[in-house]
Amino acid sequence: MARSTSKDAQALFQSLRSAYVATPSSLKIIDLYVCFAVFTAIIQVVYMAVVGSFPFNSFLSGVLSCVGTAVLAVCLRIQVNKENKEFKDLPPERAFADFVLCNLVLHLVIMNFLG
Amino acid sequence: MARSLAGFLVLILAISICDAASIFQPISDSHRSAALDLFKPVDGSFASLEETYEALRTFEILGINKKPDVSTATCGTVSKALSSSSSTPKDLFDALRVNSILKCKINAEVFEGIISKLQAAVSGASSLHDFYYSIGSLGLIKDQTSKADLHLSDAEGIFRSIKALSQSDGRWRYSSNNPESSTIAAGVALETLAGVVSLASSEVDQSMIGIVQNDIMKLFDSIEKYDDGAFYFDEKVVNVHEHSGPLSTSSSVVRGLTAFTTVATGSLNLPGDKILGLAKFFLGIGIPGDSKDFFNQIDSLAFLESNRVSIPLILSLPSTVVSLTKKENLMVKVNTVLGSKAPPLTVKLVRAYSTSSKDTSIIENKELSFDPERVVYFLDALPDSVDVGSYIFVFKVVLHDSERKDVYVTGTLTHVQIFLTGHVKIGNAEIAVLDNDLGTIETQRKLDLAGENAVSLSANHLQKLHLSFQLTTPRGSAFKPHQAFLKLRHETKVEHVFLVGNSGKKFEITLDFLGLVEKLFYLSGKYDIQLTVGDAVMENSLLSEIGYVELDLPEAPEKAPRPPPQAVDPYSRYGPKAEISHIFRAPEKRPPKELSFTFLGLILLPFIGFLIGLLRLGVNLKNFPTSSVPATFAILFHVGIAAVLLLYVLFWLKLDLFTTLKTLSFLGVFLMFVGHRILSHLASASSKLKSG
Amino acid sequence: MAKFLLYITLTISLLPFLAISFSPEIPTDRRVLVLLDDFAVKSSHSLFFDSLKSRGFELEFKLADDPNIGLQRYGQYLYDALVLFCPSVERFGGSINVASIADFVDSGHDLIIAADTNASDLIREISTESGVDFDENAAAMVIDHTGYAVSNTDGDHTLIASDDLIKSDVILGSKNIEAPVLFQGIGHSVNPANSLVLQVLAASPSSYSANPQSKLSSPPSLTGSAISLVSVIQARNNARIVVAGSLSMFSNRFFRSGVQKAGSSTKYQKSGNEEFLTELSKWVFHERGHLKALNVRHHKVGESDEPSMYRISDDLDYSVEIYEWSGTSWEPYVTNDVQLQFYMMSPYVLKTLSTDKKGLYSTSFKVPDVYGVFQFKVEYQRLGYTSLSLSKQIPVRPFRHNEYERFLPAAYPYYGASFSMMVGFFIFTVVHLYSK
Repeated sequence: MARSTSKDAQALFQSLRSAYVATPSSLKIIDLYVCFAVFTAIIQVVYMAVVGSFPFNSFLSGVLSCVGTAVLAVCLRIQVNKENKEFKDLPPERAFADFVLCNLVLHLVIMNFLG
Repeated sequence: MARSLAGFLVLILAISICDAASIFQPISDSHRSAALDLFKPVDGSFASLEETYEALRTFEILGINKKPDVSTATCGTVSKALSSSSSTPKDLFDALRVNSILKCKINAEVFEGIISKLQAAVSGASSLHDFYYSIGSLGLIKDQTSKADLHLSDAEGIFRSIKALSQSDGRWRYSSNNPESSTIAAGVALETLAGVVSLASSEVDQSMIGIVQNDIMKLFDSIEKYDDGAFYFDEKVVNVHEHSGPLSTSSSVVRGLTAFTTVATGSLNLPGDKILGLAKFFLGIGIPGDSKDFFNQIDSLAFLESNRVSIPLILSLPSTVVSLTKKENLMVKVNTVLGSKAPPLTVKLVRAYSTSSKDTSIIENKELSFDPERVVYFLDALPDSVDVGSYIFVFKVVLHDSERKDVYVTGTLTHVQIFLTGHVKIGNAEIAVLDNDLGTIETQRKLDLAGENAVSLSANHLQKLHLSFQLTTPRGSAFKPHQAFLKLRHETKVEHVFLVGNSGKKFEITLDFLGLVEKLFYLSGKYDIQLTVGDAVMENSLLSEIGYVELDLPEAPEKAPRPPPQAVDPYSRYGPKAEISHIFRAPEKRPPKELSFTFLGLILLPFIGFLIGLLRLGVNLKNFPTSSVPATFAILFHVGIAAVLLLYVLFWLKLDLFTTLKTLSFLGVFLMFVGHRILSHLASASSKLKSG
Repeated sequence: MAKFLLYITLTISLLPFLAISFSPEIPTDRRVLVLLDDFAVKSSHSLFFDSLKSRGFELEFKLADDPNIGLQRYGQYLYDALVLFCPSVERFGGSINVASIADFVDSGHDLIIAADTNASDLIREISTESGVDFDENAAAMVIDHTGYAVSNTDGDHTLIASDDLIKSDVILGSKNIEAPVLFQGIGHSVNPANSLVLQVLAASPSSYSANPQSKLSSPPSLTGSAISLVSVIQARNNARIVVAGSLSMFSNRFFRSGVQKAGSSTKYQKSGNEEFLTELSKWVFHERGHLKALNVRHHKVGESDEPSMYRISDDLDYSVEIYEWSGTSWEPYVTNDVQLQFYMMSPYVLKTLSTDKKGLYSTSFKVPDVYGVFQFKVEYQRLGYTSLSLSKQIPVRPFRHNEYERFLPAAYPYYGASFSMMVGFFIFTVVHLYSK
């Protein structure tokens, strides 16, 4: 049974990869951006685990900048994705403008909290 | 009444001799050195002629040779006072008195000038002081110039006018206007009357002198008495002015009395004990600290020394403490008040008795031997039965020349308290710990109370501590000292004192710890034992640290009284405290710099990965608007975003929130405008693409 | 014109009275009321009074039962100090009584009480109010059979020579008193719980307080060194009281007398009484040992003005000037044990102040990292000196939000992350809009 599950996992992985290739590049850019943010966040958490949470505000600030911008990017992806029926009427530029505004506000907060 | 009682107590304090005995010491060398201390001239002279006279007269009476020399400056003042026309009779009187001692060179004309002035003053005098100064000055001039022809014109008249101021009780008034009578005034008046008599050209009527002598007797009726045999005069009116105390009053009366009796013929029957009492009063003051008091005392004593009524003789003892062990002799001195030799006389010891048994005399009727070299009378040998102790010796002075009894007064019996001291033998001293019930001795130690002891005993509450010793007087009999204490002192400094009782020669104390447990506050531990034996007549009174006893007492029950708190050593009560410095919270442990830098590098890895990923995805700028206006807007839009992000970086580095927000609002408005343009352009471009 | 001159002269003649009156700038007493049983005491104790007069005191002698005496008139005290040389007074005259004397001392004025044998209940009561208890037995005197003064006239050992003096330079002067002090009178005891009373002259261990003429039937209540012959009390308001059990101790006779202690072969020409009592009178009238503290200053290190609030972990400087009254002027007080406490419920910091030997005491320390309202407390109490109690409140605040440490190397990764996110975002905006 294990062999079949691993084979199934591999088959699943392959189908996921081929399906992903089909996504438009703008979405891929967004995905890449999200990955970048998440990895940065993970490295920061690892650092905090190693040295302790001393400048806790800086840690929160750093992690929040990554996580916040990742969340905003995911929101942008949802709103820009043409296949999403819900946001059919929303112009993607509008979504982008929201994204930029929220990010700027986010970064202001981050900079204030960074210390 | 209260004042005299108070005064009496103060006098006792001043004399500081215990009540039973009353010894008065005649004037001695300590008086002389005190006089030199008290009368100190400032810049070669005294403050006033009156003070100069007081100082010089005191030095003269006491026979002080090494006195300060004030003659140069003072003679000048004296001659000025005598020649000045504005001098009052008082000034002249003071100056003449000083001159009588200093014997300055004064011209005869000066005296002539004064005499007429004084005669006029005498005739015109109305108050007692006027009479006193003018008549006194005339008398002094008569002595100093030895003018035999100086007389008062109307001596009897003056005598009568002075006598008119007298009162019925022997006191005098100062003037006819002043109704208050004063004892001091009586003395002044008597002096003045004496001066009148000596200056009279013819004999004053004897009857008038007799009346004055009666006045003196009446005055002496008001004399007051202390318990120790001193007599004194005091003013009836309580005068706030301090110099009207008993001393100045008595000295004024003595001056007047002695002056009058010197000039008056006929005898005065004054009781001799009152004269002796006055002498005792003056001697009893000791050494006064005030110059005027000192002068009054010495002057009065000088007059008493050579008066015509009766000269007091003082019996004094140089020492009232006589050691039997050292075989000292009891010595007695009899002198005049100024310390001079007395006429030939015998001192008899009438009887001597112990203070504890007043009825039995140990010595009776013994005559003292005379030592002509030291001029003392001494008791050569005490009978063998006389032991150490406190005794009252009763002395009597008997003059050899019985005729002289009128001239001298010696008083009746003099009681003196004598301490016969000696070395008391302490022996057979031992300390033991006994078992309670049977009385068997557990530990016993011999003690040498005169020397060092270091006994260490131990006992528990069921045992007893027994201490005994024997005291024997030099004559071999039993001795009970005033102080015989056994003191137990615990380590915590709590002390307990016990009296050591005696039966005959043997002294013993038994401390039954069973009964003393509560008194000792149930404190177990080391108790230092201290024995103190002492008495006034015991020459070898001792305090002996015997050693210590370890006491084992049961535990204190709940309700037991706590031992009294002991004193905290004052030196350790105050003192600097230990320093405290605050321990700050340890700062967080920082990671080493290298680790932070490493992770900084690691953080940048995803960014690089992002860039690489973007390149792999094949990003391009194909959608960039080509026409200029949208292109500018696009560029401006991104520049605006970059500017905002830079502003954020600046904000993080140094700006504060307010400036940032201000700038941000400008940039934001700009960005919104530009963004709107570019994004609407892009939106229209893409919709055109979609539709078209 | 004449009237004008008259007014001028009157005003000028009043000025000296204003200058002489007691002021806190000059703590030494000036006007002293001396109450006596009898004016003979004025003469027999003249050496003591002259020593006071020579130091500038104005003594007024009155009888204790004089009906005109009073300590104050219309609410103002007429005298700065009181000397009671009246051991046998039963009732004071005028407006003086135990309560008025207690008020007098409570208002900061000094007192010397001399008792003696046959001390009245009134004097005993005043002494008890002051903090010492005389022997209840009215006929008791202090007797010492091993420490008495060898004397030809006092054979009952009530005249004692004591050399158990307190070791204090400020109370007894810096010169050592060699000769023993003669004493003849009653003894008193000092309550051990009372921290304000000091035994200045104590009796020897073999002494006891009893009636010399009657046998002892029970152990005496006062024995040994617990018997105090002369005690001093310094009240909390710095009023000073001397209680002595012998009036004759102050007398000329004792001052001039030689002394030889029993058992010792040294014969002193002059007893230590004059030196001892003169020095003690200097202390009791505040000519010595009176401190004042001025100019409390504190500031942050490097600044010079006094802030109204400190922040935790600030470095601050504290300084105070302490002067001692030398009898004529204020001299700098030099010592090395003045301590400062930084106190909030309990001392957080306790430091010894260092001195520049000219009366300035200073120190610096770091404010603790606890915030709250603190006090700069200087509590200085030393044997014989007046107590100094200074207290200044100062709040301590925590860090403001912008006073924390920034740009820590430990936080570089976080800074890097934030900046890289910002840069990434910028690149993303560009790429997202224009990439096809």
